[in-house]
Amino acid sequence: MTGHLKSWPFVLALSIISAPIVLMYSYLFIDTITNSPPGSFIPHEFTLEHWRFLWETRPGKPSIWRVTLNSFLFASSSCLVVLVVSSTAGYVLSRLNVPGRAFFLAGVMVLHAFPAVTLIVAIFLVLQMVGLYNSLIGVILVKAAIDMPLGIWIMKGFYDTVPWEIEMAGIADGASRFTVWRKLVLPQVKPGLFALGLFAFLLGWSEFILPQVLAPGGDVQVLSVYLAGLIADDNNFDMAMFKSVGLFYIAPVLILFLFFQKYLMNIYGGGTKG
Amino acid sequence: MSASRDIVEAAAVPAGAAAASAHPPRWRAGWLNSSRGLGLILLMPALVLVVLFFLMPVVLTGVFAFTNMSTATGISGGTYQVTPGALRELADRHGMDELAEKLGQPSFVVDEQGLKALEEMGIEPAIIADLREGHLGETHASRREFERMLRDLPERPDTRTVKRISGEFSRSLANSRFSSRESLLAAAEGVDPELTEEEKTALVQATYTGWVWTADNFRRMASSRDTVRILLNTIFFVATTLIIFNTAFAMLLAITTHYIPERPAGIFRIIWFLPRISPAVIYVLLWKWFAWDTGFLSAFLDNFGIRPRNWMLDTAANAWFFVIVINGFVGASMGMVIFSSAIKAIPESLFHAASVDGAYRWQQVRHIILPQLKWPILFVTCYQTLSLLTSIEQTLLATDGGPGGATEIWSLAIYHTALNNYAGNLQYGYGAAMALVLVVIGIVLSLIYLRVFNYRALVAKPRIEL
Amino acid sequence: MTKHLLRSTVAAVALASSATYALAEDVTIRVWAGGSSPNDVYRVDAIDIAADLLEREAAVRGEELNITVEKKVDNTWDDFKQAVTLAAEAGNVPHILVTGHEDIGPWSQSGLIVPIEDYVNLDAWPINDIYENLLEVASYGGVVYGLPQDAEARPFFFWKEYMRKIGYTDADLDGLADKVQSGEYTLANVLEDAKKMVDQGVVPAGYGFYPRPNNGPDYWQFYTSFGGVMEEDGKLVLDKAAMQRFYQFFVDAVAAGVTRKNHIGTPNDQWWAEVASGKAGIWHGGTWHYARYTNQEGLKDFFGSISFSLIPAGEGGKANTLTHPLVYVLTKQDNEDEVAIAAELVKIASEPRINTLHAIKSAHLGITKQQSNIDLYSNDRWAREATERLLPHANAMPNNAEFGTYWNAMWAGLEASWTGQKTPEQAVQDLEAELKNSLGEGIVIR
Repeated sequence: MTGHLKSWPFVLALSIISAPIVLMYSYLFIDTITNSPPGSFIPHEFTLEHWRFLWETRPGKPSIWRVTLNSFLFASSSCLVVLVVSSTAGYVLSRLNVPGRAFFLAGVMVLHAFPAVTLIVAIFLVLQMVGLYNSLIGVILVKAAIDMPLGIWIMKGFYDTVPWEIEMAGIADGASRFTVWRKLVLPQVKPGLFALGLFAFLLGWSEFILPQVLAPGGDVQVLSVYLAGLIADDNNFDMAMFKSVGLFYIAPVLILFLFFQKYLMNIYGGGTKG
Repeated sequence: MSASRDIVEAAAVPAGAAAASAHPPRWRAGWLNSSRGLGLILLMPALVLVVLFFLMPVVLTGVFAFTNMSTATGISGGTYQVTPGALRELADRHGMDELAEKLGQPSFVVDEQGLKALEEMGIEPAIIADLREGHLGETHASRREFERMLRDLPERPDTRTVKRISGEFSRSLANSRFSSRESLLAAAEGVDPELTEEEKTALVQATYTGWVWTADNFRRMASSRDTVRILLNTIFFVATTLIIFNTAFAMLLAITTHYIPERPAGIFRIIWFLPRISPAVIYVLLWKWFAWDTGFLSAFLDNFGIRPRNWMLDTAANAWFFVIVINGFVGASMGMVIFSSAIKAIPESLFHAASVDGAYRWQQVRHIILPQLKWPILFVTCYQTLSLLTSIEQTLLATDGGPGGATEIWSLAIYHTALNNYAGNLQYGYGAAMALVLVVIGIVLSLIYLRVFNYRALVAKPRIEL
Repeated sequence: MTKHLLRSTVAAVALASSATYALAEDVTIRVWAGGSSPNDVYRVDAIDIAADLLEREAAVRGEELNITVEKKVDNTWDDFKQAVTLAAEAGNVPHILVTGHEDIGPWSQSGLIVPIEDYVNLDAWPINDIYENLLEVASYGGVVYGLPQDAEARPFFFWKEYMRKIGYTDADLDGLADKVQSGEYTLANVLEDAKKMVDQGVVPAGYGFYPRPNNGPDYWQFYTSFGGVMEEDGKLVLDKAAMQRFYQFFVDAVAAGVTRKNHIGTPNDQWWAEVASGKAGIWHGGTWHYARYTNQEGLKDFFGSISFSLIPAGEGGKANTLTHPLVYVLTKQDNEDEVAIAAELVKIASEPRINTLHAIKSAHLGITKQQSNIDLYSNDRWAREATERLLPHANAMPNNAEFGTYWNAMWAGLEASWTGQKTPEQAVQDLEAELKNSLGEGIVIR
């Protein structure tokens, strides 16, 4: 690599600008298991009291485990839908000669410009018409639809790299194009499916506005809405408790990220968030 | 464009796979038929989602934008209610004081016609008999009074029966609700048989509770001073975040991590990825912990005699600083990854030719790296412009547009208008009109971008090159 | 879903005393309350108690009625109203809502709620014991849509210790409320005293006058103090001069250093803790603050630490306070019988004894006259004094479908002038333009 000898100024500069983030995330952890004297940020005692929410359900709030289960169902189902839709549509756009292919591909790009929030009232109305307002299935579909354009692009990119020879060999053996796709092509894009699945799961896990507006009911509440509700409730300001719930909520994200950071970085690089 | 896909593949594509698909196959034409059928089937799930959650909402938004829809009007249509407000409108706007008086003056008359109706409704005969014997011909000017009389009947009808009876004897329309125009007019003609067409139209218009078509939303938007302010806020927000963080800062991260050993570089990349992978609710919570009155910054600066304050909302400038930093830190990682992999792709020989002293490094950056990164930079700029235009979660959770609306941006204003009203009357119509503006901007921008990135070439040749 | 099940399995039910129930009936009644803290649990719990009573009444008549009450309490208003309106459009809104009375205007227009007077006898106990003016606040266009759930008033609070430090004697403090009421002590004096506190270092800068940190009905009181009128003859009114004086007051407070420029957006919990622990000199709040200060915030001696009064008069107006009763409203449902049961529950929940549980627990004021004969109520010093001192001077916001638009615009103008984005004059001009634009003839501007 270029310039190993004098890399310390860069490391120093990077360390300084990274300090706020490191600080915030360190304290996200520290504050959940310690108490600090008022006005100070140096902990003076160890405690697990901030984690009470795990075994004590707050009056009027659903149980944390119920909410976690909802979050998990929401994230994994929307991930599944994104995978199915993107792996089929991506293949079509990459390989099959259907009318309007170019148009659809351009359309998918344009769809990125339509974020849910600007259309949310109309989306609500559509959900209501199909009877899915205030249900997990409804938000799952909406979330999947919103993540879909990027998913299709990513999968198309992966399909583009699969050698045509594989398909030709399959066809020559007399298999239908569907069989070829399922048996021969799909295994080739497994890394893509894996990366996209991970990505879609995390997007679903993090989503806040959609469930907040489209599924406000207590029995379909997800972690983000639960946490935002705790913070908005001015009767129990307890930063350490917020952080504990926050850490509980973010832990799966961090674990997945640390294990699969290469995949995620690549795919998030083209992610949807500002 | 190609840059982003390139990095996706750099991670996941087996080496050599790319080489094989270099030639677009000429056999394709022969498979056209089966390919088309399969293609449509496989495309179906995507099409359903697109139609349900993109096309229909966009169309509906376009429709809503030309209505005065709100909570009060409802979304699905209205009824006709003769409220005092409607009567006032009849009098004030249409000058039909007399008609308003006639329709609105409550009067309850116990007459044979009403008694007959009661018989048909199956009201207990004893009640009807009581009414006929004791009260026939009576007129009451207030509903409350009339219903008191009914309740005092020997039979003591229950509340719902009382309501049904008083409905039949009511000879005015005050506060009655009609599900259709026809039933309203029929009832009105019952009160005043000589209604003119003009009066009918006015009555229907004044009493309708549902939404109506109007272009007022756009007139209001064009003449409202807030529109200009929010627009300028949005431009400021997008431009600043984009220039400072999504490109310049991302480039800084990419270049500095390029020049340090792989291990620390990896750590810094992970650190700068945390904002992006963190759910917005937690990420913003951490910033609040950092910047609020009782937060870290206040406590830290207190040691230097600086008064604790809510740094995030202290002044408009502070709020902007935090809104931009919060959004910018999330956005920086995308540029960082794309630029890093683009820098990696620059042939080593270009660097090797150079020495490694600090002064020369700057020249490397200027003359080797930056020119090579022209397309990735353009891509990030375009992509993030759209993302920023429509981003809302972080700003909503951090400042909610405050203080004093200083950081209110267009997408947030849509949310506030259409979904957030302290007095329970959400302005769907006006919100949709604002959303439509964003939709149009989005479409125009993405079409321009597709042109810039030579979209046709991309489709025609589904191969990736840097 | 449950609704359909019910409709298919349950025979017709009538409700008043003469009615006959089907043999065994299971009904689920859902109730949602907005903007409620833990002190306000009786908003929904009262419905539980009422359900128990109604079941027993049915049993006495020899019928079997099983009511399941599903309760939901929202801490905030915005999310609650958003959820309610969307649920209403989707056709699964709960039977009973506890909300601000100002929602009656738009919600009745849209048909979301139905008049309660169609289901209960207004002349019967306990409704005939509810204060007339409160029942009026729960009406729209002469029709009674809801039953008041609680009443309150919004007083000014003075931290006694700091008032003494700037020269008030105990006698002065005892007489302060009367001076405010007579118009002798005005908002101008508030600024003077707050400035003294700041200048003498009694309170930190920005803590002399420490108003509510977010949007709320409270701010209409200041408009009223400066002579503004919200509605006249069913039409909204914007009094430009009064509005400008009202905006100017907050700009002056910031300029004098007694109120922070960035005050709006202060986290609520922080605000509560600060005013209850004597960090601020003068502030305003609501009667229910008493419950919060003494319960959650641990203020031991309320009456020894704080004096309270009406909102002082400003130039061109009178001392006043605002009552913002929450109301029980019934939503439109496909199943009329469920609405009728919900109406009965709301009626029973308005019994003085049941309502007193809420009134005292949450430090709100009672809704019925007989509550003064209930020991729990009459022995409570706060309820007694606040009722006497404040309630006779209380106004309410108008029930008008357009009021929300006016309110939003008023708040935007206040926020903009407070934070220095606009001068009060500009803000009022913009407000006028905005209202002409959005309400047209719906508002009288003068």
